[in-house]
Amino acid sequence: MSVHETEVLIIGGGVLGAAVARELSKYKVDVTLVEKEVDFGWGITKANAALVCQGMDCLTFRKEYYRSKLVWESIPMMEPLCKELDVPFKRIGQIAVFRDMGDIRPYSKVKARQEKWIPQMGSHQVLDKETLRNWEPNISRKFIGALYDPVMAITDPVKLNIALAENAEQNGVKTKLGTEVVGISPGVDEFEVQTNNGNIKSRFIVNAAGEQVDKIAAMVNADDFVVFPIKAQMWVLDKNVGGLVNHCVFAFVNDPPNMNLITPTVDGNLLIGVQLLLSDKRGDHSTSREAAERAIRYAQSLVPAISERDIIKSFASFILFRNLETGWHECIVRPSNSVPGLINVSIGFPGVSAAPATAKELVRLLSDQGLKLVDNPNFNPHRKDIPDFSELSNGEKNQLIVHDSRYAHVVCRCETVTEGEIVEAIKRIKAVGGLATVDGVKHRVRAGMGRCQSGFCRPRVISILANELGIPEEEVTMVGGKSRELLYKNKELLEEVNKIATGS
Amino acid sequence: MQQEVDVAVIGSGPAGLAAAIKAKETGAGKVVVFERAERLGGLLDQCVHNGFGLLYFGEDLTGPQYRDRFIEKAMDLKVNTELESMVLDLSADHTMKVASSKRGYFSLKPKAIVLAMGCRERTRFAIGIPGTRPTGIYTAGQAQRFVNVEGFIPGKKIVILGSGDIGMIMARRLTLEGANVEAVVEILPYVGGLIRNEVQCIHDFEIPLFLRHTVSEIHGYPRIEAVTISEVDEKFNPIAGTERKIECDTLLLSVGLIPENELSLKAGVKLDPLVGGPIVDEIRQTNVSGIFAGGNAVHVHDLVDNVSWESEIAGASAAAFAKGAKLPSGKIKMRPGRNIRYVVPQTISGKEDVTLYMRVKEPENNARIKVGDVMTTKVKLAVKPSSMEKVDVSASELKRLKEGTEEIVVDCVTKEAA
Repeated sequence: MSVHETEVLIIGGGVLGAAVARELSKYKVDVTLVEKEVDFGWGITKANAALVCQGMDCLTFRKEYYRSKLVWESIPMMEPLCKELDVPFKRIGQIAVFRDMGDIRPYSKVKARQEKWIPQMGSHQVLDKETLRNWEPNISRKFIGALYDPVMAITDPVKLNIALAENAEQNGVKTKLGTEVVGISPGVDEFEVQTNNGNIKSRFIVNAAGEQVDKIAAMVNADDFVVFPIKAQMWVLDKNVGGLVNHCVFAFVNDPPNMNLITPTVDGNLLIGVQLLLSDKRGDHSTSREAAERAIRYAQSLVPAISERDIIKSFASFILFRNLETGWHECIVRPSNSVPGLINVSIGFPGVSAAPATAKELVRLLSDQGLKLVDNPNFNPHRKDIPDFSELSNGEKNQLIVHDSRYAHVVCRCETVTEGEIVEAIKRIKAVGGLATVDGVKHRVRAGMGRCQSGFCRPRVISILANELGIPEEEVTMVGGKSRELLYKNKELLEEVNKIATGS
Repeated sequence: MQQEVDVAVIGSGPAGLAAAIKAKETGAGKVVVFERAERLGGLLDQCVHNGFGLLYFGEDLTGPQYRDRFIEKAMDLKVNTELESMVLDLSADHTMKVASSKRGYFSLKPKAIVLAMGCRERTRFAIGIPGTRPTGIYTAGQAQRFVNVEGFIPGKKIVILGSGDIGMIMARRLTLEGANVEAVVEILPYVGGLIRNEVQCIHDFEIPLFLRHTVSEIHGYPRIEAVTISEVDEKFNPIAGTERKIECDTLLLSVGLIPENELSLKAGVKLDPLVGGPIVDEIRQTNVSGIFAGGNAVHVHDLVDNVSWESEIAGASAAAFAKGAKLPSGKIKMRPGRNIRYVVPQTISGKEDVTLYMRVKEPENNARIKVGDVMTTKVKLAVKPSSMEKVDVSASELKRLKEGTEEIVVDCVTKEAA
């Protein structure tokens, strides 16, 4: 197998890896991005609260922390970025509710601090009982007021991730999906990186491997940091209850670090959680009954109308903390002390919110290390998303259908996703070198994300995938690898049974 | 749509077809059935087993045979059909917005509408099974489509959670296809579907049946590798220490059906929380004037024959409404009483013959259904939540109602309770 050569190798196709790839594509730099999964954003990026926030630790802002700086710098960048990349962004604001005046004191402190340090973020506001009732009529009467943060916004992190990667690819970044780094040998001027997909030589490495960041660093003995994996579990509620809150609502709980958060999503669902658990079983993304029960109890204490019957999906991911004492305050965005040319990056939380400024910071660090940055005159910052049929005006709908009648064929009825959108999603996955899968389609166009959780559309999505990829339906997978959806053709098992019975 | 539409029917499953036919037979002008899929019949095409039409036709038919009889009749009567046409929006003034691969995106305003969208299956998350999130977990209906329509078998070591009818039928179907059904796991102390399916699909094939058990955890990624099943207590919580792990490559869910009513809600149709379907009166009119509903969109049936009969009421009423005929009025509430989960229709006029459909909450023996002071049925040997109870009440019996009656309580009574 021939060796692929590049100037900067980014390991990890999550939102951070894609953001730095896109940032580098503004310059004439040879960049390659590798991702072990067959698509973008399947790690921490797809399993979080989808907030563009200052961190749920708004009570404990620390100006001295580098991570806070990255988050604060990122927040004003996020809306224009989402606009350029045609990614959903909605500024909904956050309401941190309190039960008594004792609760209010730390909030006032936050307000003062925030106004002093980050005035550009708009002023926090204390809401009295009546205003809180007017703004959020479904919130429990136990709460007597709230601190309102007008800046908090929501986005779709996986869509942002995909958009960043697509835009980076359009601007010259090479993307290699399904490519897992298995070893790294540091040379004199460059690294030789072994993958399941051939070797790659690169002068610089940006290690944005998410959950695996420490394992990649350990491959070159650059383990000058430790991480503590914290499992985070969250639950998605049906759109039918999506209107129960209008803002991201947050309350303190008596068993930290668990959080009590209810937030709308850009798609109109609600998310509840977050149940956190220190766990060394990284890769185990299972959710537990106890955590679900606790999360529902918490959510009900905020909004009594919420019921466990509203849950349509649960998910879990790992947030890496650098330090258990300071929790999420510390991040890693720095060159390795021992291995020149390697830069490690792990934000912990909130990674999505910090991505834009972190990408710029990484480019600066690469330049400090000797990467020459010459502007790419052909850089195009714009990228269009797949048309969302359900959101179009009547005229636009008709135009699309006249152009391609597959846009009139609704495949996913819960989310009103058409065959046209699914075919376009598959085309785009192929364009970035990914493998089109059931989940890849789901993340791009929401087919299967609704209340029936693909009960109706999955057979149809599988058959469209088979058709577009030119493969038999039994080879269609959920996420690549061993995740085939349909294991046998009809009668195939009977043939097996017959063989055994006849001893042939 | 060039010509004015008298009755628009949303959905072409057994409910939609029956409603459209009846509308036409009772004198509606233009009747149009809107179907999302490529062909008529809704889910009947994947129900290749028998047991359809025993009551309606007095014959034992398969799903597709049952469907074909209705399609032929609809064609004879010149019912219009719009395939690959999904109704995306519906308002209380009857404005429908439709995306159609042939006609593009258009709207129409029919005189009357029948909601016949059927139902959907409950999912894994709706019942909150913890564990990993691999592939290989399908609803029984999904598996039925894979095997009977698409020609694929999801896996060869199968566990089925829930003993609804589709789940039991798939246990037999997959066994006949050479797969091993390792277990059917039911949280209740009794089977959820029809007795005939329990006997013919489970016991006849010696499939292990675990009553009072549930799947308490899912293992494996990216394909399911095993499930843990546990016995449950009276509150349906898994009992610690009763866990057993069963290896499997597929988990099917047959854990209930939910009437499909997203469109109904858009039109301002009020739903009955006990049922999940629109609150209807005896002519199957919803709270929105001129919008009627039938079949599994109203409440989940065990027999297709009843789906057809009930939807015919909706079809006939829609035709009458479109013609401007006077419809029976008066709203006496039917309230579920002792051991009755729900009653459909939710209101009656009290002046006409009416058939009440209901389900009990708990199985009981030697029970009667008592409709207020109006009438009481003969003793039934057994009532079960899985079998719908049908009670005919005549207009003459309803004459016993006192003037100004606003509510009738329907009870399931036994000797002991009485």
